[in-house]
Amino acid sequence: MSRRILVLGADGFIGRRVVAQLAASGWAIPVAAGRRRLKGSVPSIDRLCFDATDEKALRAALVGVDGVVNCVGGSPATIVSSARCLFRAAIPTGPVVVQLSSMAVYGAAQGEVDEQAPLRGDCGAYGVAKVEAERLASDYHRAVILRPGCVYGPRGAQWSERLARLLRTHRIGDLGAGGDGFANMVHVEDVAAAALAALRRPDGYGQAYNLALPNPPTWNDFFLQFARALGAVPIARLSERRLALETRLLAPPLKVAEILAGRLGLGGFPPPAIPPSLARLWRQEIRLLVGKAENHLDMRWTSLDRGLAETARSLQTHAG
Amino acid sequence: MLIDAYDLPDGQPLAADVCIVGAGATGIAMALQFLGSGIDVLLLEGGGLGRETDSQALYDGAVADRRLHSPLDRYRERRFGGSTTTWGGRSMPFDPIDFEARDYIADSGWPIGRDALQPYFPLANRIAEAGAFAYTIDAAFATPRRPMIDGFDSQTFTTSTLERFSCPTDFGRRYRHKLDTGREIRVLVHANVTGIVLSAGGQAVEEVTVKTLKGQTFSVRARHFVLANGGLEATRLLLASRDLMPGGLGSRHDVLGRFYMCHMAGTIGAIQFNRPVWNGYDIADDGTYCRRRLAMRPEVQRRERIANVIARLHHPRITDPRHRNGILSMLYLAKMFIPYEYGKRLHGGEVLDWATRLAHVRNVVTDMPSTVAFMAHLLRDRRLAERKFPSIIIRSKTHLHSLDVHAEQEPNRESRVTLGQETDALGLPRLVVDWRYTPGDIGSVRRFLALLAQDIERSGVGRFDYDQDSVESEMTRYGAYGGHHIGTARMGSDPRTSVVDANCRLHGVDNLFVAGPAVFPTSSQANPTLTAIALSLRLADHVKDRLASFAAGERSVL
Repeated sequence: MSRRILVLGADGFIGRRVVAQLAASGWAIPVAAGRRRLKGSVPSIDRLCFDATDEKALRAALVGVDGVVNCVGGSPATIVSSARCLFRAAIPTGPVVVQLSSMAVYGAAQGEVDEQAPLRGDCGAYGVAKVEAERLASDYHRAVILRPGCVYGPRGAQWSERLARLLRTHRIGDLGAGGDGFANMVHVEDVAAAALAALRRPDGYGQAYNLALPNPPTWNDFFLQFARALGAVPIARLSERRLALETRLLAPPLKVAEILAGRLGLGGFPPPAIPPSLARLWRQEIRLLVGKAENHLDMRWTSLDRGLAETARSLQTHAG
Repeated sequence: MLIDAYDLPDGQPLAADVCIVGAGATGIAMALQFLGSGIDVLLLEGGGLGRETDSQALYDGAVADRRLHSPLDRYRERRFGGSTTTWGGRSMPFDPIDFEARDYIADSGWPIGRDALQPYFPLANRIAEAGAFAYTIDAAFATPRRPMIDGFDSQTFTTSTLERFSCPTDFGRRYRHKLDTGREIRVLVHANVTGIVLSAGGQAVEEVTVKTLKGQTFSVRARHFVLANGGLEATRLLLASRDLMPGGLGSRHDVLGRFYMCHMAGTIGAIQFNRPVWNGYDIADDGTYCRRRLAMRPEVQRRERIANVIARLHHPRITDPRHRNGILSMLYLAKMFIPYEYGKRLHGGEVLDWATRLAHVRNVVTDMPSTVAFMAHLLRDRRLAERKFPSIIIRSKTHLHSLDVHAEQEPNRESRVTLGQETDALGLPRLVVDWRYTPGDIGSVRRFLALLAQDIERSGVGRFDYDQDSVESEMTRYGAYGGHHIGTARMGSDPRTSVVDANCRLHGVDNLFVAGPAVFPTSSQANPTLTAIALSLRLADHVKDRLASFAAGERSVL
């Protein structure tokens, strides 16, 4: 019981679930590292507070640690610099590192995509950063890479709360050709479970794993299913014109408002933006193949029905 | 990949595994099934990406009785997307009874049952964007909805079946991106098929001849050919392929071009309910508009020995200003803005005198608030909406309605299309349409109405009055229901009484198939598009199976 696993980005959506699953595992003890001091954190869990781009602090945190799960999010620059610091700091002690990457590394790829597919990273700065972080991870030799699709679940900002708000206000729904892409959804608990499984697998170094529901629904189907769970039906049919208006005209000011509101501590006040990258993703007919994660990591997936019901319930309680 | 045949060199042949003629509802639905299959598909569309006068003019033809059938360039669109660029979107499966051989309807009966199409309907609904394949109110809605006619309890009629509506989806616009990026698919626009060339023995199609309106001619060779160019046009092309058979390809037993059916449709009588009724739309979770109707139960159809008929609760006749309804009067006054295809049945083409017109103006003025609200609804839910409110629904304050009847036509050898002497710009003979209806067609509607009047009265919900003597004139007032071109290349297992077999393959020709409502042996009460799509999806599977077994055969020989 003396194994200690450092979770970076422990206060994030995924990090929190990794910490919780580690704590419940009886296999290892989580050390939760976040940038901010949190009120109301679980007292029984060891907490560290430092910036993941601070190499010195990282080096100190790695002392006596057997493994690391890197869930640091944030800007592309943060993603790259935290990965760079981590893999440099880890060299002396050599813990196994589970690096949270993203399907964004596949860029604009279409069709069925397994882990051998080229890392194009040709869809924006986020994807470029994730590719770079993966490169640093593979240079480290003791890293396992997880490439989740769209991670959803209770308290997920991107793929749960934002989409719920858009569905409730009928700004998304049935998008016609704009929603023909595949929703490679994966439940946050499944991502956390995969991180644990990767830590426990001694021969997994250098491997990458796609994480997503097999046979993903189209985004149109996903939106309908989510809207049903939310009680936001009937869904609206939105024209391509309307979506273009969202991405070209509405998205820039809404994004600015979001940033300002974030600074002022009014997070959640302005309506969410639909940036062009998001609309592009909804069209992208990419299907992550996940057989490798099922075989090597024994992944079993939370069904969308269950995951969405749980997500909708949590949204209700949070909204009061 | 999308290619304009105008950019292709004259005379250079093309080849594919499967050649689909016509990029409309069935052609596009089929082509989509080959995405990712590794099977090469060439989808030939005669028209361009938009409406073009010269392409459209290729549809011109003659009509035996102009009062009974619309001109042949109407309700048909020779362009990418076909007639889905103009359709109303009503998406209905044929009923199981429609497939049965009914001894009281001559030449009825399909060689397949509804169960053969059952696996394909959900996908057909999906492609048509008509929501789930759920066609009763209980199947389509998780929670109880208000009844259509509260208290109407009938052993003869049911009010629980639904009509569902597509957006209406323009298949060309909706699926262009898939066809354009699909590796297997080449869509050729401005590519008009003008001839079918058979092998020496006549057992297989060798190639089709393609012409453009700019003078190019080339051939397309394929393993399998599918005519998906609409009920009338597929028939025309077969009739015009006279190299081996003077009456056209598939005409050996003089069935091709015969049994032409549309639907009987008319607005009849006055139903005065003594309580509010619901004649509007229910909106399913997926956003599709669903509407209930009065349908005759199949066992009653068999007992009464009549064809399949349904009726919807409709608004009073628009042209008569005595309805005192501002919305209806406005629709009359706005008739010049309503497209021909829809306006005909709305305002009836009646020319009214000035006094009557003035009465309509008065209705609009006195009923201004509801007229304005209705205009706003039309603008928001129809004109600007992507999923359009399907029809004009007037909620009658006085619970007064007329009945909108949509009825099956029985197969009739004498109702037929033939080739005329004139040819179009590409040299293809023009069609002559001689649409007929039978006393049986009218008789079924009469019986339906009589039983309905009885049941409405008996259940105590109101009264249905109609003029029995004008049933025939009302049901034929606008002639054949436009756009439904059924039966002229009917399906059957016996080549003496049918043109294609149960797999839509032309009898005696190994690799030529017909998709679309031309192969329907009977016409149902339902609009044909959805069933035509389902049947074409089944055909796509069949063609794939044929290619796979051929490939397997090839391997085993090696």
